[in-house]
Amino acid sequence: MSAVPAKIQPRYDAPGVRVLRRTFRNRSAQVGFAILALLVLACACAPLLTRADPLAIDPSNTLQPPGRAAPLGTDGIGRDVLARFLYGGRLSLWVGLVAIAIGGLTGTSLGMLAGYFGGWLDAFLSWVTDILLAFPDILLALAIIAILGAGIVNAMIAVGISFIPAFMRLTRSSVLAIRETSYVEAARALGASDLEVIFNHILPNVLRTLLVLVTLGIGSAILAGAALNFLGLGAQPPTPEWGAMLNAGQKYIRDGWWLTVFPGLGIFLTILSINLIGDALSDAVAGTVVTSEKK
Amino acid sequence: MTTYLLRRLFTSILVLFGISVLVFSIIHLVPGDVVTAILGREKVSAQQEAQLRQQLGLNDPIPVQYWRYLDRALHGDLGESIRNYVPVSQAIAEQLPSTIELAFAALLLALALGFALGLTAALNHGNWVDTLAMSLSVSGLSIPTFWLGLLLILLFSVSLKWLPSISTGPGLAGLVLPALTLGLPETSVVARMVRASMLDVLGREYITAARAKGVSQAMVVLKHALRNALIPVVTFVGLQLASLLGGSTIVETIFARQGIGRLAVQSISNRDYPMVQGVVLVVAVIYVLINTLTDVTYTLLNPKIRLQ
Repeated sequence: MSAVPAKIQPRYDAPGVRVLRRTFRNRSAQVGFAILALLVLACACAPLLTRADPLAIDPSNTLQPPGRAAPLGTDGIGRDVLARFLYGGRLSLWVGLVAIAIGGLTGTSLGMLAGYFGGWLDAFLSWVTDILLAFPDILLALAIIAILGAGIVNAMIAVGISFIPAFMRLTRSSVLAIRETSYVEAARALGASDLEVIFNHILPNVLRTLLVLVTLGIGSAILAGAALNFLGLGAQPPTPEWGAMLNAGQKYIRDGWWLTVFPGLGIFLTILSINLIGDALSDAVAGTVVTSEKK
Repeated sequence: MTTYLLRRLFTSILVLFGISVLVFSIIHLVPGDVVTAILGREKVSAQQEAQLRQQLGLNDPIPVQYWRYLDRALHGDLGESIRNYVPVSQAIAEQLPSTIELAFAALLLALALGFALGLTAALNHGNWVDTLAMSLSVSGLSIPTFWLGLLLILLFSVSLKWLPSISTGPGLAGLVLPALTLGLPETSVVARMVRASMLDVLGREYITAARAKGVSQAMVVLKHALRNALIPVVTFVGLQLASLLGGSTIVETIFARQGIGRLAVQSISNRDYPMVQGVVLVVAVIYVLINTLTDVTYTLLNPKIRLQ
């Protein structure tokens, strides 16, 4: 009998809280959070950490290895690598965030429409998704860059568009399941309009499913953005960006290892930390679903 | 099952049709006038501009242009490069074998290393070896291909001077670093799959029964567990091979290696639209064909689906 009061307590927002609590308790996620926080803070506080100008050229000070004057060394035209690393990190992180916002918002909206309304709209949108998914790896982003031309904004758009299919598919399948639940039917019976049902009842539930995809997606988007920049199709010189810095450093690989190691380390640590958090989040979501189903 | 197979083939044909529309549209989606975009700051006469417009077939109505594009593509004619006037299909045919060679080498490497890592992790489940193997696997998944390639060059070409940093011409030495670069991230995926699959199989009753009969650990693993744990991995192989074709873009660029990935990047930089269209079309079609073939093979092999 003692379990009864606990059962009748409303638990509407409990799963979300439970997911976060489980994620924060995971050791790998803690390491991930720590690395990511450190990187984001360092990039955000770039002017406090270095006084060097990331664009200032110094021909008398080229290819200096890491030392007291330049903690991460200087590049082929004497620019401070630490300053370029910190300011470049800002842009790399932005590319990921903006791209995932573009892909996430568009894909989720299309997935909602396809899943909720079904019929020919669903068939058409699913067909378009299948077509977009037929371009392996970064080929779709490359095709979009071919249309829009090289540039950092176009790289964000290209990476964003290439994420639409993943969001659209996941949202659609979630909506298909939620659409048939009794609380959605009840809302409809009470006279709620399609928009009210979508925004008040379906969207909050879809978002939980999307949480893992958004987290891991940010990592993949940063990686794809850096790849386009590395190929010279995104940020153009002299703009600092981790991928573009690796591209420029490739020329000096025999004389300046630091130009290859540090920008790559920035990308690697960012992706690693996001993957660690994403994995823990995925386990936490799965755990919560299992627990909820058991109850 | 026949209905399923027919439906699967029909879906693939619809997707291939969609790909052809999308690839054809590349040239028409360019903001502004495509000829101006191609010519950029080049100073050309009005006659040369009109000639380029004619070469790209832009003077006809769009449905006519699409029909002509599709008709030619189905006959193996993907147009002509607007930079060096080489037939696109000829350029792709010259570059494709190198990319396929790289993709196969990377896949073989990923399978060999991934199996070793996944099997070691599964057999040491829960102890430090498992943790180490899985940590390596997460790191492998997070490492950017372009950084991995450069690090391998730093280690094996610059410091140790064992292998060339540029992968030109035939020979195995030039293939090792590109294959490692492309294959190592896939190794992580294979290792995770093999580990999960092995742990699942090792917990089954027939394994316990085999052990109870006194079968040695090596025999249990090799004869009973590994064979069943292989099934999901084999399905994965087909899909990954196609994906590796797309992933070759970066690796070929780093190692200045011949291949369609590098051809794609160069064509985008040169605004050589017919070449870009050709490469994107060929890779996407190969991807769809391999995916369809994998699905069909899986359906034919899997009794559960076959009986439905």
